[in-house]
Amino acid sequence: MSCCRSASGTSLSRGRCAVIFDFLSAGLDVFLSPIALGLTFAGIVVGLVVGAMPGLGPLMGIILLLPVAIGLPPVAAMGFLIAIFVGGSCGGSISAILLRIPGTPLAAATLYDGYPMAQKGRASDAIGIAITSSAIGGLIGGVVLVFCAPILASFAANFAPPEYAMLAIMGLFAIVVISGGSIIKGLLAGSFGLLISTVGTDSFSTGLRFTFGSHNLLNGFHIVAVVVGLFAISEMAAQMMKRDLLKIPDVKVARPGLHTITLTLKHWVNLIRSSAIGTFFGAIPGAGGVISSFTSYAVAKAAAKPGEVYGEGAEGGVVATESANNSTVGGTLVPTLSLGIPGDASSAMLLGALLILGFIPGPAMFENNPDVVGGIFMVYLASNIFLLVAGILATPLFVYVLRIPKVYLIPSILLLCSIGTFALQASVFDLQIMLVFGLIGILFRSADYPLAPVVIGMILGPILEANLRRSLLISREGYWIFLDRPVSAVLVSINVLLLLAMVYLTVQRMRGAKETALAKAMSAED
Amino acid sequence: MELRKLLKGSLLAGAFVAASATTALAEFPERNIEVIHPWGPGNAMAMSQVVAKAMGEELGTDMPVISLPGAAGTKAQTTAMGKPADGYTVFDGYVAPLVLQPILGNADWNFKDFKPLSAAVANAFAIAGQVGETRWSNFEEMMAYCKDNRGELRYSSGSRNNLPHMVIAKALQSYDCVAQNVPYTQDGNVFKDLGSKVLDFAFVNVGNFRSNPDKVKILLVLSELPSSKKAFHGAPTIGELGVDLGLSNLGPMGWTWWIVNPDTPDDVTEKLRGAMERAMARQDVKDAVEAIGFVPLEWDHTKYEEIVGGVDSQLNSMGNALAWEEEELKKLN
Repeated sequence: MSCCRSASGTSLSRGRCAVIFDFLSAGLDVFLSPIALGLTFAGIVVGLVVGAMPGLGPLMGIILLLPVAIGLPPVAAMGFLIAIFVGGSCGGSISAILLRIPGTPLAAATLYDGYPMAQKGRASDAIGIAITSSAIGGLIGGVVLVFCAPILASFAANFAPPEYAMLAIMGLFAIVVISGGSIIKGLLAGSFGLLISTVGTDSFSTGLRFTFGSHNLLNGFHIVAVVVGLFAISEMAAQMMKRDLLKIPDVKVARPGLHTITLTLKHWVNLIRSSAIGTFFGAIPGAGGVISSFTSYAVAKAAAKPGEVYGEGAEGGVVATESANNSTVGGTLVPTLSLGIPGDASSAMLLGALLILGFIPGPAMFENNPDVVGGIFMVYLASNIFLLVAGILATPLFVYVLRIPKVYLIPSILLLCSIGTFALQASVFDLQIMLVFGLIGILFRSADYPLAPVVIGMILGPILEANLRRSLLISREGYWIFLDRPVSAVLVSINVLLLLAMVYLTVQRMRGAKETALAKAMSAED
Repeated sequence: MELRKLLKGSLLAGAFVAASATTALAEFPERNIEVIHPWGPGNAMAMSQVVAKAMGEELGTDMPVISLPGAAGTKAQTTAMGKPADGYTVFDGYVAPLVLQPILGNADWNFKDFKPLSAAVANAFAIAGQVGETRWSNFEEMMAYCKDNRGELRYSSGSRNNLPHMVIAKALQSYDCVAQNVPYTQDGNVFKDLGSKVLDFAFVNVGNFRSNPDKVKILLVLSELPSSKKAFHGAPTIGELGVDLGLSNLGPMGWTWWIVNPDTPDDVTEKLRGAMERAMARQDVKDAVEAIGFVPLEWDHTKYEEIVGGVDSQLNSMGNALAWEEEELKKLN
């Protein structure tokens, strides 16, 4: 179906495409000013920095710089903030690849293959692929935003609690796919994530759960403090155990050039599929980039060609996660601009900024302010192009981090983690949580339990619980609500099929492992 | 000679005290002042950033707004009041944590326990229904339908036990209407699910309504203010209802009054008050606040007890409509 159709899909409307080009043309006039171009580029640089710093992220960047932006002309202001969103969504991959520390939860899936690539001496390639995938994914999300916003927004508006609950279950299946070594350990780690997501105030009964009288726990654990603790503290502890603290690492700093674009485009099917998944999850308010990156990774891994070993430095893994989480940005702007309903916390702040600047997001803005709408489209598309340029130019600087002896690197990273985590809520308690989860991360690693399922469980737990309970409150016929609604029924069917497929594949895998072990034992006896 | 010495000494001491006092006043603020905001990122936080930015400009410092959502705002208020009483922490005192939660027994403070700076903003809510609804055409008909079909309707007030929930529960109680409340954590999703006819009615704020005025039908504006009626395109207000809900002025509205720890030194408090009053009087601030869909309030700290006290007694005398709703739903189940 062409996005140039009307939202109702009844008639092919050349007029609608013409209107879109009118928007872009009106937007181009306001975008092509030195201040808008300059601030969009500056926003990308700020975004990459706040994204790469563990603890900070695009949301924090937008919050910190919103007061600056609201004094600027509208398109320049939105260009600055949207570019922070775009750059920040990609920046987290840099620390994930170089240090095995996701700068933001969005990049938690990127370290699966990005870090092994860096360990194999391909850090520049990994970052280049991450940046190129992010930029292309973002552009795909942008094309959808520009051409399909009203249609996608009206489709996403029909996603209600039953559909969200089913999507959350689908996201949980990613745990099985990404668990690698032991599915049981992956499921246990995911269950731990689900369990800790229950801490705080129950929004349905207003009862307190596992808060132990502490007001700091009334809203549960901050996801960023948990992620930084689990990944960064445990990684730094692991690095300290090695006996090379004073050694100057011999890392070749290569500038990623056009060849990283070629490397990325080799995975074009994965790129388009992951970008589509990211845009879809972004367009559904509340779903978010973390689900989209893990889901894309799981799908890419399941569809991997023979010889592509995910988890050991497969380029496809980086392509999947990074294209997904940046296309999510374009997706989140769909309901934000078309309906005035923010897709996530960052787009909620963008919506607030638009209101302060005097524009009311929604259908009326498309009619009354085509220059601003077109300008926002243009800054979003340009942000992704600037991301490619700035990212590739700055990669040698990032990779240079690997040449710093660990005796300096480790304390610096711990300091940055502490600053970033404290800045979240100006809270010492968050620092304590970071350290506690650092200890938990060390224990998990020593017992060979994967860490990413904890993040998936912690993010999907509240979405699943709230939407399951919400569905049952809305329903007048109990659980039948999940089958009464067509989209929900389709998602239920997909989930059942996925469950059966996973059980079957797991049994096959265990049987295969048993047979291999038996064959080994027999050959040893011979 | 002695007298001259005494005079000299007194003058020196006076000059020293005056200099010290001036220095002390000139010293505040020496660093950033944090504004603790009780909700997550969104329109309300953006609005607080507008006020904080202007107030910071008046004080010559930055005033970052820190979002600390949780437990209907009580987490943020407890955290803010646990910080040193030095004027470097200001609380964005929304009605929910400041007045409502103590009434519901979820907080052990009273609004009189704090030092007010100035009133900030208010925002009006409305009850909206679906477009193309055939079961009723106005609020009173919906209440009659609800009375005849107890427990059938589904509505949302956003979070549970917040101000819109209490006001809607009181309205339903007045008409003996029992409906199922469905809590949501994001107001935007309430609006979306009402627009897609998952919910029968819901609270909406001005911001959501202005974005999509054609997606919902406003049944009742939960405010008597003419500006609120205008914002909701002239829909009926609670003042025009057949029953008296006992709510007036700010009673049924969301609002925030910025406050500080009661032990904050008076000179520091005065400095903060002056800056906030000047900030709230600025036309650029008023314009920005109105653009987000809020109403700037112009009361200074001297009106705090009168205005907030009025809301406190109104909400107190509303009785426990929330408990009534819960009991009635239990009976139906």
